[in-house]
Amino acid sequence: MQDFTIGRRGAIGAGLGAAGLLAAPRVLRAFERDGNRKILVFAGGQPVPVLDPHVRYDWSTRMIQQSVYDALAKYVNDPPQIVPWLAERWEASPDQRVWTFHLVGNARFHNGDPVDAEAVRYSFERGLRLNKGVAWMLKDVLPPENIQALDARTVRFTLTRAMPSFLTYIPMWFIVNPRQVQANIANNDYGEGWLTTNAAGSGPFRIRRFEPQSVIHLDTVPDYWKGWPMGEQRRLSGLIYRIVREPAARRALLQRGEADIITEIPADDFEVLRTMRGIRPEDHRGMTTFAITMNTTRGPTADLNVRKAIAHAMDYDALIQIHNGAATLMTSPFPEQIPGYIPVPGMPRRNLDLARQFLARSSHPNGGFELEYVHVQGLEDPRRIGLALLNSLQALNIRVNIVAQPWPTMVARGSRAETAPDMVSVYVTPVSTDPDVIAGKYHTRAHGNFWGMHHLTDRQLDQWVDAARVETDEARRNALYADIQRRIVEVQPEIFGMLANRRWLMRDYVRGFAYCPLRLTGEIDTYPLWIDAA
Amino acid sequence: MLAFVLKRLALTGLMLFGLVCITFVVSNVAPSDPAALAAGPDATRDMVETIRREYGLDRPLHEQFLRYVAGLLQGDLGRSIVTTRPVSVDLARYFPATLELVLLSMTLGVLLGVPLGMASAVLKNRAPDHLTRFVAVSLVALPAFWFGILLQLLFSVHLEWLPTSGRLDVATPPPPPITGMILFDSAVAGQWATFRDAVSHAVLPALVLSFPCLASILRVNRAEMIEVLSSDYVTAARAHGVPPLRVVCVHALRNAMLPTLAIIGLRWGWMLGSTVLVETVFDWPGIGLYAVSAAIAGDFKPVMGVTLLIGLNFMIANLVVDILYGVLDPRLRTSS
Repeated sequence: MQDFTIGRRGAIGAGLGAAGLLAAPRVLRAFERDGNRKILVFAGGQPVPVLDPHVRYDWSTRMIQQSVYDALAKYVNDPPQIVPWLAERWEASPDQRVWTFHLVGNARFHNGDPVDAEAVRYSFERGLRLNKGVAWMLKDVLPPENIQALDARTVRFTLTRAMPSFLTYIPMWFIVNPRQVQANIANNDYGEGWLTTNAAGSGPFRIRRFEPQSVIHLDTVPDYWKGWPMGEQRRLSGLIYRIVREPAARRALLQRGEADIITEIPADDFEVLRTMRGIRPEDHRGMTTFAITMNTTRGPTADLNVRKAIAHAMDYDALIQIHNGAATLMTSPFPEQIPGYIPVPGMPRRNLDLARQFLARSSHPNGGFELEYVHVQGLEDPRRIGLALLNSLQALNIRVNIVAQPWPTMVARGSRAETAPDMVSVYVTPVSTDPDVIAGKYHTRAHGNFWGMHHLTDRQLDQWVDAARVETDEARRNALYADIQRRIVEVQPEIFGMLANRRWLMRDYVRGFAYCPLRLTGEIDTYPLWIDAA
Repeated sequence: MLAFVLKRLALTGLMLFGLVCITFVVSNVAPSDPAALAAGPDATRDMVETIRREYGLDRPLHEQFLRYVAGLLQGDLGRSIVTTRPVSVDLARYFPATLELVLLSMTLGVLLGVPLGMASAVLKNRAPDHLTRFVAVSLVALPAFWFGILLQLLFSVHLEWLPTSGRLDVATPPPPPITGMILFDSAVAGQWATFRDAVSHAVLPALVLSFPCLASILRVNRAEMIEVLSSDYVTAARAHGVPPLRVVCVHALRNAMLPTLAIIGLRWGWMLGSTVLVETVFDWPGIGLYAVSAAIAGDFKPVMGVTLLIGLNFMIANLVVDILYGVLDPRLRTSS
């Protein structure tokens, strides 16, 4: 057979060619620029499939909505405060049924139309009639016809019953431009189809490019009606939200300077990156509660003493270790930042003697049974928490079967008491500072929701929760919530876990970052951000 | 040949219907409530029901199926409950990215796999052959997910030669859309800076996706070449003084290419399906990423749409291969 050889010159040429091909697009840079102004790049793992502010919200979606729309009020600071935004002031009737908002006079939508009372009325009506997304917050107390535009700058909401928490939901209701929406209605959809990928807002940013799965490029509005806190000179040209699903890729982007801020960072990566030159960590106490919900209607966990035994056998230190110390154990079913919070005496901590005493009083005094622990497939922390639970319960002769399931499957299973797993890991982030958001998790009406997978039925608790949500006297309301917190711990529908810190990593030239724990998981307030570098 | 093609097309229709049935059943037996998921965690029951009604999920399963099939016949793949857009619109948006990636990977696979297979056969049992076979086996065995991250760390983080992910730099505006394939569109528009940016972004995902394909082509081509090179007509050609390069590249390769073509056809469909992992690692906004996002959200119409699209591509690729078989081998043409 004939031999074939590649000459030395050919081999070198091929090698240089390949190296040149790879080396050609070498990239070294800091931040993106647009002329003299800078563009800030934020990388997160969650897409923004729908922009419509009345149809959907999750952390990434709300972050973009908050950037392009304004609401009557806004959450800022830690602990969270509600500050006026499109409304310069408001007042409530003594019975807290009638709320009147007075609008600022200079707010403009991006197309130049004024933001007036009619736009506010239309936006709330639209949200309620669509009956999606934010509608659940107000639909039971606010019929659309009870919203009135009294004049160009005054809008009144007349609720069907007292709702002391009304104001806490207002920052979630963004105002759309009725003229733009009406011009894009198809099949009586209230412009839903159009607003999925377009915006009709008055916020500090406007959409330049919307690729729901990959890139959302926002431009700052130069003459934003509220001005820019960093001054016109320092204002960004825009902000890019880049969807990068893999944590390793997000980390690489930050290291390379392709992203200025990243979120959803594994604990170990955070520890490595936080000390690197040019990178600044933001590490804040969160409001997202983690609990292991137990099925209170079926199997061994239907027995209160078994639930108490499990809660006292759990190794709570492991929860903190899993987060490399960046978490705080819950001292109540309520996060500390929620009004009415009290540290509940007797909150379970690991005490094996007490755990054995509870188990001895149960219908399974010697253990010897197996419990299923379900967590969302692909999430590492709940899996490791499952391992800690497995180790903890061995002391009680209780076996744990750790099962990873896709989120839809887990939620579908948990929606019915008959199919809900014995134990499920559940994270809950409150969307407002209203204590009812947390207390309602333990009401019978929570059955069917993912946080109601305990299927707890406690008449006393229901009664208190119902009373507290309409109580207008703050002292009496707080007293009721104190009772509610103690009662929840008493009936132990779940192992109360920890509040993991909210964390971001950013380049050290990023300025204006303002933490507010009420934002959802990775969400940031884009409005005050700027870049301090030449 | 025409009768053969028509027969295959009819069979393709039947197979597609089978695929529709399977994907519909699999999607609906999964314990999940897409309406509840789309409504969000805080939604009340009546809000969930609103969505259920809007998407026809409140109807009996057989009715949902008939409506879906009727829609398919009119080119309607249903509506995504997450993006709220028609699936066909979403597919039109994301498919060009996947097609671009697969075309690049396939080109790499063929351009590298065929010559390497030939060289390996010619140098049978010598060091380059052993090395090539070792590399081929390794390339098939490497998990795309892991290998992709490894390449990212090496070429993007440490060497800083290539971008980490995406199709273009975030601040680079895409070219005016013609096909949706950025490389093609930017070349047509004469936007060479965008073209170069797109090439640098495509290198790593295309490489990772091409490796298993390259390895398969290499191994099949090598085996066929070895067999053909030992056949009588090759010996005769050599005896007649035909130059060695011509013997290998013209006489032998033509016959060795038949099974290679079959592999290319099979790999085409496989690559479309396996872009899921590569697109996830490199955040390549194609149908794989779209399908994964939809599956996580329990949004089954997009998953079914993507499955059908990949199935259809698979079938078309096989049909094309069958036709090419006939073109390359006159004996097959006669018998068909």
